[in-house]
Amino acid sequence: MLVIDNLKARVGGKDVLKGLNLTINAGEVHAIMGPNGSGKSTLAQVLAGRDGYEVTGGSVTYQSRDLLALAPEERAREGVFLAFQYPVEIPGVNNVYLLKAGLNAIRKHRGEPEVDAFEFLALVREKMKLMQMDESFLNRAVNEGFSGGEKKRNEILQMAILEPKLALLDETDSGLDIDALRVVANGVNSLRRPDRAIVMVTHYQRLLDYIEPDHVHVLSGGRILKSGDKSLALELESRGYDWVKEDPAAA
Amino acid sequence: MSVSALNQPPVLDHYRELFASTWAARAPKRDALTQLRQASLDRFLATGFPTQRDEAWKYTNLRRLESRRFTPAESAAVAAEDSRWIPDCGHRLVLINGTMLPGLSTPAPQPPGVTVLSLAQWAQHSPDEVAEFLSRHEPATPGPFENLNGAFSDDGIVIDIAQGFALDHPLYIVHHWRAPRTPGSSQMAHPRVIVRAGQQSQCSVISHYTGVDQADAFSNPWISFDLAAGARVEHLRIQEEGSRTFHIGSSHVRLARDANFTSHEFALGASLGRNSTMVQLAEPGASVSLNGLFAPTGTQHLDTHIRIDHAAAHTQSRQDYRGIAAARGRGVFNGKVIVRPHAQKIDARQSNRNLLLSATAEIDTRPELEIYADDVKCSHGATTGQLDPVSLFYLRSRGLGEEEARALLIRAFAQSMLATVKVGPVRTWLEARVQQRFDLSASGLPESL
Repeated sequence: MLVIDNLKARVGGKDVLKGLNLTINAGEVHAIMGPNGSGKSTLAQVLAGRDGYEVTGGSVTYQSRDLLALAPEERAREGVFLAFQYPVEIPGVNNVYLLKAGLNAIRKHRGEPEVDAFEFLALVREKMKLMQMDESFLNRAVNEGFSGGEKKRNEILQMAILEPKLALLDETDSGLDIDALRVVANGVNSLRRPDRAIVMVTHYQRLLDYIEPDHVHVLSGGRILKSGDKSLALELESRGYDWVKEDPAAA
Repeated sequence: MSVSALNQPPVLDHYRELFASTWAARAPKRDALTQLRQASLDRFLATGFPTQRDEAWKYTNLRRLESRRFTPAESAAVAAEDSRWIPDCGHRLVLINGTMLPGLSTPAPQPPGVTVLSLAQWAQHSPDEVAEFLSRHEPATPGPFENLNGAFSDDGIVIDIAQGFALDHPLYIVHHWRAPRTPGSSQMAHPRVIVRAGQQSQCSVISHYTGVDQADAFSNPWISFDLAAGARVEHLRIQEEGSRTFHIGSSHVRLARDANFTSHEFALGASLGRNSTMVQLAEPGASVSLNGLFAPTGTQHLDTHIRIDHAAAHTQSRQDYRGIAAARGRGVFNGKVIVRPHAQKIDARQSNRNLLLSATAEIDTRPELEIYADDVKCSHGATTGQLDPVSLFYLRSRGLGEEEARALLIRAFAQSMLATVKVGPVRTWLEARVQQRFDLSASGLPESL
């Protein structure tokens, strides 16, 4: 589904990704872990197409297409979804409007008709129940005045409604208490499907207790230093990141 | 007052001669009303048009207005209501080119508790009464445009709301421009509206300036609100004049004890538009809340000027304005708060947030506080910026196209001002107008970023 080949990127004049290789297949859940400043969030932003992240080398192929050539909205319509580390507050735009506009943009791209108002409401209600969100969220402005946990739940709600093929979760566990983490993890787990890939970017192993990854990668200094299964995450938890950096067998 | 004609620029000669030719035929007797007009003209001639050396006009250049030779607008009849008017909106009062047309005003019987009078009709019967009435409503120091209005105004509306009466529907005053019968002529109108709200009365007034895209029209309306103790008045001002019109408006508000005035101002039209709101919080307990949106695009220049005078203790003021400038549009916000020496326990807040949609757009914002008392709470804040790139990216990452995302964010910025309009059907109408405007300016202008 996604092949990242020798990807190099710079932000604010600083090289952050320095030749990153990663292959993700449909149906897989990957966790990308690494210390602060290792390039985890940069990778998520580059894949979603954020301005100001300059790709200086390498390629990203998504479903046999050059992902980097697509505008952010084209990536979204092709099924790429980024759950933001810091979801943006947008006063004056209400949640339900954004959900509907996003869903219709994606449907239009697929050549499908706009969603029927009743079906849409039923869909939203079902997904909100899953995320344990109160219905009053719908008519509130996007993320405005939401607590940290509410914002993260709202991200997963959007994901549940837009049904991406490739979901990128950027530090989705940060700032969540244990109850909110369970709800968010439950939402993500319900979205695991054979035709969907999920990539979690995280600093801590905690999230992986609730969402079990098929593959774990250690990102450091802009490159994947080590890959393994979920036991790698536990090892990182007990031994820290320095161990990987010093391991001559890494990469 | 004699000013040497030799030192005067020719534009003032134009207005002097025009004054003579306009009123000579209509009021040969030089009654009290004519004398009042003459006094206004003299004051205008003594100062002339303001220049940018005048602090209150620092950002607004009037040379284009000065260079035109406007003549009083021809009265014109309109057979049917216009599609630009807000449909089914309260008690409608219509002025065409500055002259009141009773035929289009609805409903014919005036609501109980409300008296509506045409100034021109009143003046026909008793000019001395009108002169006495108008001089009582003159501010201590009228500005040049109020003087010009006083000199040339020949119609307008006086509205009285009876003590204790609450009007349930808005009074909808339409100021409509029709094309002149003489093609190419530059015409002006100086309508005067005076609203007197009795003790503990309540009403909503809508002033809607609209009409055809007429060449070089000059609209110089002046509205005054006089609120008796405990009165509550809401004013909605919608300025969407034609794209070649000069619109210089004045709003005067005087509040007695415990009175409350709320206004919502939407400056959308005109080539050069300006409105000055002068508020006097004259007695304790009076409060005022002004908010609005100005949105210049193309080469429009829209200026919002506010002066709030806390002349009594325990008075409160709020100003909350937003500006959106696209293309080569230019906006000005100048809000001034004065707190008099004896006026303690004052709470005055001002906020102005602006959005620039192109590299060539400009908004000048200038808060001014003059505080002569020590026990006061005054705050002001102003920001000017572009659309937030992170918000744009967020919306695009959810599948919305770039143009759609931009239009959505612009509308959202305007929405908070629209939300303050309480009359539901009017708000919906206004939302559609504003939306239409921003959809056009967000996608149709090559200079937008």
